Amino acid sequence: MEIKTDIQENTKIIMISGSLDGKTAPEAQEKIIPLIEPDNILVVDLSNCKYVSSAGLRLLLMIAKQVPSKNCKLFLTGLTEEVKDVMDMTGFSNFFKIYGTVKEACDMGASCT
Amino acid sequence: MQRIDAHSTHKYGDFKLRIGKPLPFGATIVPGGVNFSVYSSYATSCELLLFNKHETNPFGIIPFTNDFRIGNVFTMVVFDIDYENIEYGYRMDGPFDPGSGHRFDKTKILMDPYAKLIGGRDIFGEKPDWDDPYQHRARILYDDFDWENDHPLETPVEDLVIYEMHVRGFTKHKSSKVKYPGTFAAIREKIPYLKELKINCVELMPIHEFDEFENSRISPVTGQMLLNYWGYSNLGYFAPKAGLAATGKYGMQADELKALIKDLHKNNIEVILDVVFNHTAEGNEKGPYISYRGIDNKTYYMLTPEGYYYNFSGCGNTLNCNNPITRNMILDCLRYWATDYHIDGFRFDLASILGRNQDGAPMHSPPLLEVLAFDPILAKCKLIAEAWDAGGLYQVGSFPSWGRWAEWNGKYRDDLRKFLKGNGSSGAMSQRLQGSPDLYQWQQRGACASINFITAHDGFTLMDLVSYNGKHNEANGENNNDGGNDNDSWNCGFEGETDDPNIANLRKKQIKNAVTMLLISQGTPMILSGDEMGNTQWGNNNAYCQDNEISWLDWNMTEKNSELLNYFKKMIAFRHKHPVLRSNTHFRNYDYAGSGYPDISWHGTKAWYTDWSNNSILAFLLCGKHAKQGKVQDNYFYAAMNMHWEMHGFELPKLPVNMSWYVFANTDVAPPFDICEPGQEYLMENQNEFLVGPRSIIILIGK
Repeated sequence: MEIKTDIQENTKIIMISGSLDGKTAPEAQEKIIPLIEPDNILVVDLSNCKYVSSAGLRLLLMIAKQVPSKNCKLFLTGLTEEVKDVMDMTGFSNFFKIYGTVKEACDMGASCT
Repeated sequence: MQRIDAHSTHKYGDFKLRIGKPLPFGATIVPGGVNFSVYSSYATSCELLLFNKHETNPFGIIPFTNDFRIGNVFTMVVFDIDYENIEYGYRMDGPFDPGSGHRFDKTKILMDPYAKLIGGRDIFGEKPDWDDPYQHRARILYDDFDWENDHPLETPVEDLVIYEMHVRGFTKHKSSKVKYPGTFAAIREKIPYLKELKINCVELMPIHEFDEFENSRISPVTGQMLLNYWGYSNLGYFAPKAGLAATGKYGMQADELKALIKDLHKNNIEVILDVVFNHTAEGNEKGPYISYRGIDNKTYYMLTPEGYYYNFSGCGNTLNCNNPITRNMILDCLRYWATDYHIDGFRFDLASILGRNQDGAPMHSPPLLEVLAFDPILAKCKLIAEAWDAGGLYQVGSFPSWGRWAEWNGKYRDDLRKFLKGNGSSGAMSQRLQGSPDLYQWQQRGACASINFITAHDGFTLMDLVSYNGKHNEANGENNNDGGNDNDSWNCGFEGETDDPNIANLRKKQIKNAVTMLLISQGTPMILSGDEMGNTQWGNNNAYCQDNEISWLDWNMTEKNSELLNYFKKMIAFRHKHPVLRSNTHFRNYDYAGSGYPDISWHGTKAWYTDWSNNSILAFLLCGKHAKQGKVQDNYFYAAMNMHWEMHGFELPKLPVNMSWYVFANTDVAPPFDICEPGQEYLMENQNEFLVGPRSIIILIGK
């Protein structure tokens, strides 16, 4: 797993590639949590993330639960069909705003602010 | 703040350990590691085996030294393990002395009886690796599902309409047009259908982990693989079946099932689980070591004085339900499903076994049943007994209940079926329509002690009940010897499917008659999934092994039999609309509301006169002012049932002034006049008499 961030003003695009699972989630958590700063827009791009396990989904949900307290917005983008289906079937997708592309998410973020 | 016990105190090889906590039993994620806890009354030693997922050989074998044993519980915390990607098992040593009840074998890898996830059969029907010495593999669950504000619904039992369904069979057929057929997720896609049908409770046939390959074989008749499709054979009591979840291959079956339950609750649909505490999948002395046999054979199983397995279940062994330790496991299990899965109720398969002593004798006040009746966590859960077992104990009407337990009313099924085909008893039928006071009133049990049903997974579907005189189970490969013979069915003149329109119409009418009687009976009705669309199993009355079109619902039938589906929907809606049909107390047979009418009165072809010797004709009137013991006002309700093959005129009882009779349903006429939208009944011209067609039922509303 690899994480790259692209910061544009108050929008932070977090690109996760590889697998987000029990092995990699702790590292992802360490890198992502500090990015939750007041009034930010966080876009997590999963288009290069082929597998998100139960632990990975739990990490994403934990982030989603933390962002409101810092008045941040969180968007997920680029989910593969399989990841999206797993999130739907296990109820995780109820907690997220999900968009097809980073651009769509950024536009939505911009219109929210 | 970090806990001060989140650090290891012991080492074994590369493993960092700490003395564990015995409670809760099972594998629990704790800060820094996993707490393992397993008990055995007779084991002399125990080892924990850790595997990478799917691997045959363990990457770690850690003995529980004496430090790690508290009483009879082996417990340790193992730090720094990737809980998501491991599987664990135990090996136990102890006496092998079947005559004394012990069958320890230290070479066998044993699954944790408290495993919350079980791998090994991740995809339903996918051929297992038979060389793997550890077939059913305990896994670790992160149980932090976000329920938000979900809560069990606690719907009054008298208001339920239960829909008994098989998770896989409900959507496995390609006609279901769902994305992941045969899964928990697929049921969520069908919630709009369930809402339209207006059922408000699904009873799921076994969803605990089972092995569909148990006793799998090729049918000598059809050449198809026969599986344990129904799943009445538990491997573990705490784990949902992975193969029933689309996400089972990712180990996310628990989340998928919870998401389904949460969504059903949002739509006001309760969830009852069919639980099988009467035996396990380990069979008799020739069966495999999966868990219980190698952990504590004498504790978990009822054994003969010679150490063989009692077989009150008909499945090789009998769970030792009234052993205090096994009893606690059952209680732990039900509490777990009620709290962690928000389950609304349980239906206990062959529940009479739960009332047998350790030597098999039926008990007067079985401690297990009493504990469940009074348990504070289960207090609002429905408890439903299948009040018989395969050892000959039949307790319909006498199941030890403490006023808490309801029963699958087998007598209701039998009396209704007989009446439906015209050779029943009006007297018995009158009891069944009233919630079987003959069975329950003397014990101060209400009408909803009776779960009323005409069909269930065991036996014919409703379409087959009116299409076959005898069972046709040849495809099961047992020379048609399996399955019940007391079906009380009638084929309406031809055995099996036919193009004869007269027979087809009579069958439809009989189905409407059956569901009408079911839904106007006091007590809690249960419908077998698929009956509303005329589902057939082609005469197979024991389709437990048929993972194919015999069992799967063909959704094309909703169009082909739209007439039936429409009738079911309106009949269910009618029951919901009329509280007079949903009392949980028994009728008193007199007027205590000052209406001039008793709460219930019996009639026949003459009003206020019932010829109890005529066993095919019966009519009754419910006074709307007595609805819910006079607490609410409802319409007057009248039903006339003519199960004779000729038409009969029924003189109607007079209504109070300013009220008239309106027709809600008449099964003798073709749609759209067979049934109305509830509330849109049409006024009768002749208020004095109704000609009820042959084998027909009419329902009138007085308003």
